[in-house]
Parts: sequence; C-alpha cells; structure tokens
Amino acid sequence: MASGYPPPLEGSAEVKEGFLCPLCLKDLQSFYQLQDHYEEEHSGDNRQVGSQLKSLVQKAKKAKDKLLKRDGDERAETSYESFYYGGVDPYMWEPQELGATRSHLDLFKKHRAARIDHYVIEVNKRIIRLEKLTSFDRINMDGGKIRALEKSVVPWVSDQDVPFCPDCGGKFNLRNRRHHCRLCGSIMCGKCMEFVPLVLAYKLTSGTREALYVAGSPGHGAPPGGGGLTVQQPQASRRGSISSLSSVSSVLEEKDEDRIRCCHHCMDALLRHQRKLDEKDHVPDIVKFYERLRMCMDKVDEKAPEYIRMAESLNAGETTYNLETAGSLRLEVQKYYEHIDALSKKILTLGLKDEVQPHPKTLQLQRMVRYSATLFVQEKLLGLMSLPTKENYEELKEKKRYEQQHRQAALEAHKRRSEIDKSRPLLSANGDAPRPASGPRMTKAGSWLPSSEGTRSHGELDDPLLQQIDNIESFLRQARAAGRSDEVAMLEENLRQLQDEFDAQQTSRAIELSRRLAQEESLQRSQISYLQQRELESRAAARERASDFGEGKGVEEAGEREGDRSRDPDMSPELRPPQTIKSFPRLPGTSPPLQRDECTMAPPAGEAQNSGSTTLLNRFDEEDSIPVEEDPMNPFSKEIQREHHQATVARDEEYNPFEDEEDDVKETDERQDGALGRNPFEEDDDDDRGNPFKDTPDEMLPVASTNPFEDDDDDSAAMDELIEEELLLQQIDNIRAYMFDAKLNGRTDEVELLSQNLKELQCTLQEQKRKTH
Amino acid sequence: MNVVLAVKQYVSKMIESSGTGMKVLLMDKETTSIVSMVYTQSEILQKEVYLFERIDSQNRESMKHLKAICYLRPTKENVENLIQELRRPKYSVYFIYFSNVISKSEVKALAEADEQEVVAEVQEFYGDFIAVNPHLFSLNLHGVSRGRSWEPITLPRVTQGLTSVLLALKKCPMIRYQLSSDMAKRLAESVKQIITKEYELFDFRKTEVSPLLLILDRSDDAITPLLNQWTYQAMVHELLALNNNRIDLSRVPGINKDLKEVVLSAENDEFYANNLYLNFGEIGTNIKNLMEDFQKKKPKGQQKLESIADMKAFVDNYPQFKKMSGTVSKHVTVVGELSRLVSERLLMEVSEVEQELACQNDHSSAQQNVRRLLQNPRVAELDAVRLVMLYALRYERHSSNILPSLLEELQSSFLFCIICDLITPTDAVAITKQFFKGLKGVENVYTQHQPLLHDTLDQLIKGRLKDSQFPYLGPNSLRDRPQDIIVFIIGGATYEEALTVYNLNRTMPGVRIVLGGTTIHNTKSFLEEVTSSVGLGHGGDRTHGAGRPPTRR
Repeated sequence: MASGYPPPLEGSAEVKEGFLCPLCLKDLQSFYQLQDHYEEEHSGDNRQVGSQLKSLVQKAKKAKDKLLKRDGDERAETSYESFYYGGVDPYMWEPQELGATRSHLDLFKKHRAARIDHYVIEVNKRIIRLEKLTSFDRINMDGGKIRALEKSVVPWVSDQDVPFCPDCGGKFNLRNRRHHCRLCGSIMCGKCMEFVPLVLAYKLTSGTREALYVAGSPGHGAPPGGGGLTVQQPQASRRGSISSLSSVSSVLEEKDEDRIRCCHHCMDALLRHQRKLDEKDHVPDIVKFYERLRMCMDKVDEKAPEYIRMAESLNAGETTYNLETAGSLRLEVQKYYEHIDALSKKILTLGLKDEVQPHPKTLQLQRMVRYSATLFVQEKLLGLMSLPTKENYEELKEKKRYEQQHRQAALEAHKRRSEIDKSRPLLSANGDAPRPASGPRMTKAGSWLPSSEGTRSHGELDDPLLQQIDNIESFLRQARAAGRSDEVAMLEENLRQLQDEFDAQQTSRAIELSRRLAQEESLQRSQISYLQQRELESRAAARERASDFGEGKGVEEAGEREGDRSRDPDMSPELRPPQTIKSFPRLPGTSPPLQRDECTMAPPAGEAQNSGSTTLLNRFDEEDSIPVEEDPMNPFSKEIQREHHQATVARDEEYNPFEDEEDDVKETDERQDGALGRNPFEEDDDDDRGNPFKDTPDEMLPVASTNPFEDDDDDSAAMDELIEEELLLQQIDNIRAYMFDAKLNGRTDEVELLSQNLKELQCTLQEQKRKTH
Repeated sequence: MNVVLAVKQYVSKMIESSGTGMKVLLMDKETTSIVSMVYTQSEILQKEVYLFERIDSQNRESMKHLKAICYLRPTKENVENLIQELRRPKYSVYFIYFSNVISKSEVKALAEADEQEVVAEVQEFYGDFIAVNPHLFSLNLHGVSRGRSWEPITLPRVTQGLTSVLLALKKCPMIRYQLSSDMAKRLAESVKQIITKEYELFDFRKTEVSPLLLILDRSDDAITPLLNQWTYQAMVHELLALNNNRIDLSRVPGINKDLKEVVLSAENDEFYANNLYLNFGEIGTNIKNLMEDFQKKKPKGQQKLESIADMKAFVDNYPQFKKMSGTVSKHVTVVGELSRLVSERLLMEVSEVEQELACQNDHSSAQQNVRRLLQNPRVAELDAVRLVMLYALRYERHSSNILPSLLEELQSSFLFCIICDLITPTDAVAITKQFFKGLKGVENVYTQHQPLLHDTLDQLIKGRLKDSQFPYLGPNSLRDRPQDIIVFIIGGATYEEALTVYNLNRTMPGVRIVLGGTTIHNTKSFLEEVTSSVGLGHGGDRTHGAGRPPTRR
C-alpha cells in the first residue's frame, strides 16, 4: 500500500483524512461513530461494503500499531505480538453497549415513602412536643403548673384504661405506679420509664427552635442557649419550694427539673434521630485526609499529561513551550506526589497510636487507601520524563533548526531533481533507495481514502505531508480560538506525528541528495580530511560519534548524521524522534555547570574568539557541502570555536563539545578511582573502543596537558565533578523511589541491591563534596 | 457478544453511578467470583473501591463515611441479610444491584426496612454468570443432574444464569435443543418461559437475523473431557485445575511462597492473553523469548551496579523490569510445572494413545497400546482410567474387545474401578455413537481430535443441522444463516471446546459464537460429575441398561 504513494499525490487536491464514511465521505470523529453512522445511514446498502470497511479499518489500525511501536520495546512486542481478543476479533464484533438493566427504584421509593412518612411524622411530632416541654423555665416553676403545661402538650391517656404496664405487663398498684410519657401521653411503669436529659432535648430541638425564631414567634419563652447552665445554677435553692408545694404526687413522683419522662419507644426514636444529626455533621479524620488526597490526585491527572506533552516537545527541540514553565510544572507535579505520599501515610497510621486499636476493617481500609495511593504514584511518577537542561535545550533547538534548514535545502534540491526526473521517467537506482523506507509513514499520514476529492489545493505545498501539516495547523488555530482544549491536544498530537514523519522523510531524502553531492566532492574532501587526519592525532577525533564516518571519506555532514542514526537498519524511521528524545535527556545533568564555566572563563574564550572567525569559516568549508546558513549568534559557536581551537578540528557539528571533556575527566577519574570501571556514556565509549586512541590513553593525557588550555581542562574537570553531583542527586532520588516501591512489593533482594547502590552513590557524593570544597 | 466486557461494563457502571468517595463493595459468595473474574484488585482500587465485604459476614464495622455498592444474587438469604443491614445501616448510602430478576414483594420488604433512607438505587444488572473468556462463560455448578434429569434445585439456577447471559448480551434468541436429552428440553422450556414472562426485558432492537440459543448435553460427547490437552489454558486446567482463573501451585515441589496461588487472567496478563490458545511447544519458545527479554532488562544480573552508566540504564529499565518480573516468574513456574508433570506422567505417550483411540479405527494396535501403558508404572491412575474409558467408549461394540480384562487390570491396581464400573458401556454417557470423526490431515498427533461441538456448530452455521435431532422450541425456525449463536452445554463445557469456538469465531466471517456450560471440566471434575450424577440414579440406570432416561416428566 505504500509504494509509489508520495509522487502520485504531488500537486493533487486536498487529502481528506480521518474516519471517513466510504459511501458519503462524511468525516466522523471516531471508529465507533463511523460505525454507528454507517449502520444508521447505509444499513440498507450492500453488506459487502460493510465488511470491506471493517477490514479497512482493521488494516489501518494494525498499520498504526505497527508504526507507533517504540524502539525500546520493539523486540518484546514482535516476539509476542499477535493480537489477543479471546477468539473475538473486536473489529468484527461491534462495540458493545451496556447489557439490559431494570430499575426498581421507583417502586422501592413508593413503598419506602409510605413507611418513612409515618416514621418522620412521628419523630417530628415528638420533637415539637419536646420543644414545647423545654421552652418554659422548668426550674423555677412549681410542679403542678408544669404538670398542667405538660398535659396541654399531649393528652395523657387516662389511668383507668391501662391496668397493666404495656411493656412489662406488670400490674399497676400503689407501689407500681403509672407514669405518663410526656411525649406521647402513654402509660408505663417506673421500670420501663426513660428520661430525656434536658441537654439532649435542647440539642434535638435546636433545629426547630432556630426555625421558629426565624419564623418570628418569640412567644416561646426562654431561649435554649444557656439551657445547660440555667438548669444547674439554682438547683440548691429550690429544695424548699418543692417541699412547700408538696402534693401527694409530687412527693412520690419527684419533680423532673433537668429531664423529661418518656417511654422507651419515644426515646428510641429520639436517639436514632440524634445519631443521624451527629453523623450529618461529623466528618472523620480519614475523610478529611482522603478528600485532600483525591484533590491532589485530580491535580496530577490534570497536570501530568500537560507536562508530558511539554517535556516531549522540549526534548525534541521544539520551541512550542517554554523550558521554565515546563520546569515549574514539573516541580508542581512532584509537589503533588509528595503530598499524596504524605497524606496516604497519614491515613495509614490514623488511630494506630490510640489506646483502643481501631477495628480491623478500619485498618484494612486505611491500608487499601495507602496501597492505591502508592499504585497511583508508581504508575504516574515513573512515567514522568526529565527535561533537558537549559544548555541541552539550546543544543536541541539548534539541532532542530539545523535539521529544518537542511530539510528545506534538501526539499528544494529534491524538487529540482524531481523536475528533472519528470523529464526522465526512469529513476536512478539511487533515487529508489529512500522510497521503501518512507513508504509506511506515508500511508499512515494519508487517509485510507486518499482518492477523495478536495476543495482547495496549495500550489506551493506539493508534498501531501506538508499539506496535511498545514491543514492541521489551521485546525489547531481554530480549535485554540474556540478554546477546545481536548481537540487542541489531539490535533497537537497529530501534528507532531506528521512533523516527525515529515522530518524522517526529508532526512532520508537528504541522505540521498547528500550522497550525490558527496560523490562530487569526494576527491576534494578526501584531501582535506587526510590533512585533518594528521591533526586529529589529538583526542577530539576519538570522540567522533560515528566512527564509521569518522574517516571523513567524503561523506559529508548530513550523511553522517543519518548514517549515525540509521545504524540500526531495522529501526523504522518513525522511531527517530523518540530516539533522540531518549538519548538526549541522558546528558542534561552535565551541561549547566559547564555553561557557567564558559562564562567565567574569560581568557580562553577570548583567545578562542581570536581564532573564531577562521575556524568558523574553515569549519563550514570542511563540514557542510550543503550551504546551510549558520546563525552566527549561535550560543554554541563560542564553544564550538573553542573546541576547534583546542582540538584543532571538530568535524561533527552534532557532536557535543562537553562530552569530549567529560570523557577526559572520566578517564582520569577512572584511573583515580577504580570503582568507576566503566565510562558512563556507553555509546561514546563503544565508539571509543574502536578508535586507536583508546589504546593509548596515557599518551593522550600528555597531549592534553600540552594543550594551551590546560588550566581550562582542569577547571572543567572540577566542574565535571559538580555535574556529577547533580546527576548523582538525581540518581539517588530515583533509586529511593524504586526502593520504596520494591519494599512495598516485598522484593527484599531488590531492596538490598538498591540500598547498596544508594549507599555507594551517597559515598561518592560525599567524596565529591569534600573535593569541591 | 463479549461476556467479559458485559460483566465489566455492569460493574463499572455500578461503581461510576455511586459517585466519588470511598466505597465498599458488598457481595455474596457467587457475585464475589463473578466480579473477581473481570476486575483485578488494583483496577478496582483505582475506582475508589477500597473494601470488599460479604453481606453475610458478621465482622463488619459501621463505617458511615463509606458508600456501599451491593451486588447480590436475588436469593432469599441475601434479601434477608440485606433487610437486616438496612435496619441498622453500617454505611452512609446503599446502591443495591441484583444480578437477576427480583420479585416485587421482595423490593417492598426491602423498602420497608429502609427507614433511614439510606438506599439510593435499586436495580437489576444481569451479570449472573462467570465470564471466563470473552466467548466463554460458566455457572460454576457441579452435579447438575441426577441420573438423566435435573437436580431439582439446579434447574432454576441454570435458567437464571442462562437468561442473565441473554440479557447482558441483549439477545432475545430462538431456541434449539438436543432432542436426545430430556434435560436440554427442560432447560429450553424453562428459558422460554422466562422470556415470555419478562417480555418487557427482552424487548431489544430487532436484528435482521434472530440470535440463536443452542442447548446441548454433555452426554452427547463424553470423549472430549477425557482427553489430555496441549493448549496453554486447557492444559493448565487439565493438569493444575483453573478455578476462577486461579491455580493452586502449593503442591509444586520447592515452590516460592509468593507463587502458591497465581492468577491467570487474559484481561491483564499480556503474555497469557497471547498464548492462551497456543500449544505447549509454542509456549516453550515464547517463554524463552520472554526470559531473554527479561534478562536483557534485568539490571545486569544481580551484580553491583558499578558505574553511573549502569545505574542510569538500571533506572531507565526499572519500571519495565518490575512489570515483567511478575509475569516472568509466574509463567516460568507454571510452564515448568506443566513440563514436569508431562514428563513424570508420560503424558506425551498417553496423549498419543488417547488420540489414537479417539480418532482412529485400529482395534488391535489400540488394544496393544492401552495394555502397554497400563502396565507402565509411571502412568498415573487418572490417565490409566481415562485410557480404559476411552477404549470402552470406542470399542464397546467391537466383537473382540478386551474390556473385561482391561477392567480387571485396572481393578487389580487401582481403586478407580468403581468409577470405571459406572462408566462402562451401560452408563448414560456412553449411548452416543457418533463421536468419532474420520481422520483429518494429521498435523499434530496430540491434537488430532476435534470435539463433536465443532461439527455441530459447523452444520448449524451452514444450515445443515437436522431439525429432527435439534428441534426448535416453538413454531418459528430460522431461515437465514445464523449470526449470533449462544451454545450452552448442560453438564459442563471444556477448554478444548472453547478453543474450537475461538477458532470458529476467527474463521467464520459474520458469525459470533459464545460458549457456556454449567461448569468447565477437566477430566477429574468430569469424572466427579458423572459419579455424582450416576451415584444417585444408580439403580435406575442399571436396570434400564441402554440408558433410556428412567424418569421422564
């Protein structure tokens, strides 16, 4: 499906992309929508088309999956690829809706309402009565009056009607006297009687009372506010009054100044009501913590994707986002993780110090909350990629820009060539080469209905990819204007993919082009490089990244880079951007101190500048067969110049000047410290091994020390230690996180290993701190 | 038509509609297994469900800050327990979901118990079955039959299970059943009755071709559950017994204590998902690849990380490494144990003879092979029994069969003779004669056998299944080629049949088949099932000799 795709579409109309309905070309947002649409609109049409559509979708998805595979996992995925759908090819089986359900809620509510009404009315009645009973000044009123008042609240059942206690069945007589419930008026014996303390009564009625006050009926006597106090205060003085007003009943049946008699039914109802009130306002600690925990998690869910998007873009050297904002966002997200950890720890230990241990189920709940929080942190935190350092970012940006320029040039050349090609229908063998490589990408970018008619065409953008990019960019603008963030995100994703593809495509063209040009120049260049070779007896050459090309046999810059990247022939071009992302963040820790170093190092820099112009020119002479405009304000030019001066020749622009120094330092380090057996930058290291200079490191150092920038070198060595410190700190953090994780999962052997590492790292750190101070 | 997804959607819906906040899932014994088949703990934790409680558990504390999601089968005990719960609520709000139809009177009883107005939802969500694979469900019921008819209490349960599958998949099917089985007919009628009674529930959007429910009886094919299996899932079940996706490895010699019980779920184990239907040889290769990958990602053996580069690489790989390590150790253990059993019990040889018995028609060589294996002391009891049974089923009518002497041999060395006695030709399972299909192009001696189900389904799809053997219930019959088929096997399905259905799904365009059974058998559980079934109806079967159902209602 791939071959020959790009050329035929050149200059053709707009390409429609997305989930297009094959029959009416309507653009649907998703697979499912498309299918729904199809079922609705075209279900009458030929079924054949349907199956075709499905298989198409299937193919497209498979292709996408394949294309989007990342390099690191490639092996793993191919080995146990083959989709699993448990005998169910989900593309053949339509998306499933929720199975049948039936609600009984209405019926349930109907029955409950009948019951509840009754219940609620009863409770409310009692509370209103209680309110009335407590609204007068019980303490300073005489018993008879109280009795009359109480009787007015609820009619008392007459004594004759109840010969036996309805609860215990005991017969009433002189000793076993009748008592009336003040809330419902019923009769029971003394044993079955209960009391509502006034405090409780006030509490229960406070709601109604407030409501009554608001309603503006102040005739209800004493406010409830000081209820408890007023009850207590005059207690002592009142004895007399009771005895003076003694009636038979009030002597036998002591007066209730601070409580109200009631039957246990009423008491039950009131207590239940009270419990409900309590629960309504009571928020246990765990809930408070938990709410905060969830809030943090929500924040992370919100911020993390944004950050990852930024980080990806920054690591790819794009300028869409600001490095500082990303950095502060990262800090913020990390803060939330810390909060989550702290909060969940708090939840875990809630109540553990109490004398009465919480119920095992409570503990289990706390453990589970903690466990889920750690799962959350593990899953999300480990996915946070690091940012490039400032220095590195500049470099990445530079590279990206360079690539773009390069691509532009290549594109122009390609255009020119394709014009020529048009006149000569047969392509040269050379021209064929990049096609297969770029094939699959194209199909992914194009829709699976590439023949669809477009409405507008861009004369200047013959490349379908460029056209797509252009389209998406305009969509993006519109979506942004409309403030639809999810769409923006989606479009951005699309755009990035397209750009990646475009980059890859262009670079492959560039290789081809450069190869041609290289042939032309090879003779000339081989002479130059021969000269260089001799000068290269210094160590710079040793760190040439792509040693194959290091010989400088006339393969110029772009080719080198491409060659470097495509060393792994299996690697899909698609993977390149991710690869750069992966390889660059490794360096970040190293750069900033060097940058500082650079700034403070006035004399060498000055000297470097002296020779700057010549080297710069020289460099372009040597390096760039394609006339690419180099920004003279390039923040790197200084360093590059210095590097040139120092190492006499540096041919690879892509090659990081810092690596160089670092390698040196490492080598010295190696000698000083046997523990550091291996070079940290494995890749370079490997290349180094192939280099003859590697075998004579002892000779190299003398060379270095005769270098006019000897001081500088030492300086940078010190600086390098600083760099490492930063790196070390980072590593220590990481390892701590893993240790925590391993501990949780009870993998003791791993914990051991990790803690050992940690110790080692800390030792190294200490040592270095001592050295630097 | 994906039963796993169906249950999963139900459960997620329940959790979602309860809103945010800490939640507890209140279940009974059966719903616990239903939910555990589709959700892992960590998955469900992410949805804020932190506790899992049994409704009948006494040791529950009142936790008013939790919301309760009740997922219960509508049994009497559950309703009673729930009423008690609502009288004294332990949680703040209750969202009640029944896994099947509940009566109005029970709803009323619940409503009247809810004086504190804690119930926020009462619904029926029809996830009343165990979803094993997307196209395979089970009811986890053993001993469903007594003799040749239903165990009285199981028929309603099976009906409930089967109707809940129909409701969860939103299918209102036509029903066909196996005429030779009385149980199949009874079940078909019972299902039809529910569909008629709850016609409102079954009122789904009409599809062009009506779905089909085919009810079969295990006695139709007694061979399949007796064979040794060589695909991963089936083999694990045969040799280690899968129980709700869990296997018990505690008897494996020298087992790590973390691996005493492992979960094999295709939902969240990519390796298992990809290898479920592959044969033992392929799994071996894949395990090797998995190991190699793991070794690569593993932080340089267990040696010290010496340089910063090592450390960086380690830190980079760690998350992947961590993820893999669990999978690797699990599968390596399982496959290791499988291969240990295979060599210890000479399963390759046994299986070869089994396949020969099942698929070929050479009495003399079969007889020799069976005898030879019976005399080998390394062949396990179970395998010997199954060989004799297969021989009995296959050559029972052969003029010169040596069954009596084989039985004697078994009897002399094994206690399993009792089962053998039950399984011999007079038994119920033996009446069918058509289970042997001719040779196909033999590609693998260990997997020659195709279950009878394959032919039945093949004929069904091609429209050639005879109405005389598999009649429709009711006057209507299907004219078009069926599209959505639900097959239910009374007496239990097997993983070999699941594989068959899987392959049919993949090869037959436009056809979707879901397989179900009262349980999922391996040889051992099948023998137990037969024993329990025959043990009760023993006398009747004996006298009826040929296996006519002794009691037909």
